[in-house]
Amino acid sequence: MTAIAVTGKGGTGKTLVSALLIHFISKKSRKVLAVDADPDSNLSDALGVEVERTLGDVREIFQVSRDEMGTMNKEQWLEGKIYETICECNGFDLLVMGRPEGEGCYCFANSLLRGILRKLTRHYEFVIIDSEAGLEHFSRKTIDSADYVIVVTDMSKKGLATASRIKQLVKELKLNFKDIMLIANRISSEEAEKRIREFSEREKMKLLEVLPYDERVVELDLKGLPVVNLDESSEVYRRMRKVAEVFLKG
Amino acid sequence: MVERKKIEIPADAKVKVSVGPEEKFPFDISPMYEGERIRKEDMFVELGGPKQVKFELVLALPMDQVEDMKVTLVGPDLDEMKEGESYPYGMLYYIAGSKVETDLEPVIERRNHDFQNYIEGYMHLNQRYDIWVRISKNAVKKGLKSLIQIAKATMMLYKNELPFIEKIEAVYITDKNLVEKILKEIAMPIYDERDRRVETLHDEDVQEFYSCTLCQSFAPTNVCIVSPDRPSLCGAITWFDGRAAAKVDPEGPNKAVPKGELLDPIGGEYSGVNEFAKRESGGEYDRIKLHSFFEFPHTSCGCFEVIGFYMPEVDGIGWVHRGYPHPAPNGLTFSTMAGQTGGGKQVKGFLGVGIAYFRSKKFIQADGGWYRVVWMPKELKERVAKYIPEDIRDKIATEENAKTIEELKEFLKKVDHPVVKGVVRKVDGKKITEGWPEVVEVKEEKVEAKPEVAAPAQAPTAAVQPAVQAVPTAPMPIPAMPAFQLPMPMPSQQAAPAGIKLIIKDAKITIGKIVLKKKGEK
Repeated sequence: MTAIAVTGKGGTGKTLVSALLIHFISKKSRKVLAVDADPDSNLSDALGVEVERTLGDVREIFQVSRDEMGTMNKEQWLEGKIYETICECNGFDLLVMGRPEGEGCYCFANSLLRGILRKLTRHYEFVIIDSEAGLEHFSRKTIDSADYVIVVTDMSKKGLATASRIKQLVKELKLNFKDIMLIANRISSEEAEKRIREFSEREKMKLLEVLPYDERVVELDLKGLPVVNLDESSEVYRRMRKVAEVFLKG
Repeated sequence: MVERKKIEIPADAKVKVSVGPEEKFPFDISPMYEGERIRKEDMFVELGGPKQVKFELVLALPMDQVEDMKVTLVGPDLDEMKEGESYPYGMLYYIAGSKVETDLEPVIERRNHDFQNYIEGYMHLNQRYDIWVRISKNAVKKGLKSLIQIAKATMMLYKNELPFIEKIEAVYITDKNLVEKILKEIAMPIYDERDRRVETLHDEDVQEFYSCTLCQSFAPTNVCIVSPDRPSLCGAITWFDGRAAAKVDPEGPNKAVPKGELLDPIGGEYSGVNEFAKRESGGEYDRIKLHSFFEFPHTSCGCFEVIGFYMPEVDGIGWVHRGYPHPAPNGLTFSTMAGQTGGGKQVKGFLGVGIAYFRSKKFIQADGGWYRVVWMPKELKERVAKYIPEDIRDKIATEENAKTIEELKEFLKKVDHPVVKGVVRKVDGKKITEGWPEVVEVKEEKVEAKPEVAAPAQAPTAAVQPAVQAVPTAPMPIPAMPAFQLPMPMPSQQAAPAGIKLIIKDAKITIGKIVLKKKGEK
């Protein structure tokens, strides 16, 4: 199993990158699990699929109904509900983590979740996680590890600052990752590209790809259409395929 | 109890029978297949699941009634099923052995989930009437032909992993009518019977309790002891959950705690629990009474759903849950009290519990149980209303009746709550509190002492009582915290406008009489 976490400041194109990675990798591998671990993003929309329920919803149902479960096994109850929640999409499975925890103690629920997700994820060839910059699910260990961390940034100062902070956080969380890499998005000038290369060298984060500003992406965004509708005529699409091939080769 | 016997198989049913262990299986068997999700695209058939009637059940029978390693399949087998379809599914196991008891049925039944998931290309989810099984196309391609092979593999695992099962026999059913009939007539009544055990099983009925140390990451000295009459503070773990977890992972966060000797049947003190607590808390404390509020109470981690607080002014206990944002009558909010109490300490006068503990027959029984409870938020009270004895239910105030100690006193007097005249402990009939001192007597004394402050006279009288009668059995419930400041409506607040601040540390207070005087008065 190869786990790839895609993260970065909101609005930098993190979900675009995640969706296209999932799109290309699931064309070659039959066992892909996509995880939407950012309550603010909408990976399912980007992928053009519909999700009825999130893991967060299941956890809340668990919290309120656990007193009524009698002698039923709670781990198996939770596991069954999570498997029901996973969306069986065309070519990949999708799990949406959903809303953050409400009030009360989630120690037990999270401890069960960790075990269930660990057992679940090990059967996939690829697990691709769209995660918010705070990496909450990693810090809570609901998702235990990532082999590769891809930080998506644009040229904004905030985007770059977030990238640096994520690198620090990833280290502190001891994710045991093999590599932390950078994808720069909406880079429209040579000057910008030069600056991002300097940034990557300074931060010692390998620059995986530089994506240009792409009218087609903006257009899909405006119309609320899935980004996987892009085709060969899009430079972003072609370059993301190259990125996917890097991971498919291992 | 539902009678345990073999099911009747209709004479006209299509039946396949096979006896004896299987030599070879066309699939791998290993724990590494656990969690394998068979996707719709890769699925040969679905058994049970959202669209079908289904169940799984284990029945303990006498030795002579179980035919070892026999499988009976009623209904169509895999080779008669259509790819991509779903079918009804019932799995029934008869087990026997000198150590096999009815009580073990659910534990053994749950293992069906584990064992069947060891089978390559076979996905098993959920439990009881909810099971959901998928068989992969790949498994069929590799030679899986019959559900009998699945049953034999499962039975083999049962006998290998749980050697106390001496004989096991399986009946697998894919015939819709029979699945429906057995589910309705046998399985459902047995599931109900098991769930009723939650209410009927008590501390004295079991040999072991279970610990939970999940919270130790932030409350290092906390040890939750989960017994049939006392679920965990966070509300998540019952004795049954503890037992299941300890069976699967004996070194995990839930360990078996042998009860040992019963030291105090009313407070719920056991030598085994004390020893365990001492060891696991790193010697921080060495006695725990499971059903006591004042004496060696259970530690509070920080996860608790509800906090109980003693109000000396009325000699009663209030409860407030996490979701209630306003101050309780003692002037404190849930979060303030939780902050003082959490962290794995024994704090007299405050106690964190799970909402499910209100269902317990032993609910703080050492200190009067429900008859000592004087206040809880309406939302919480409604949630547990059916567990409150009828004769006290209407006497427990909510925020609609009282928001302050004064209002609470008025209310309790009006409804003649047991704390007013003294609480009699139901479990042994002992009178454990004296009740409030005669209001009239105190009032007269007051008036004599300081006629100048006649106007606020009613207020101080009320406020004076608490200390006078503070629980004879326990010291003043002041948490052993650094300088915990009690915002009790002390007489000062009404009578002395100067504003006195009382900071009491580790104190035991008994007061015979308080006389208040105005400045300069002799």
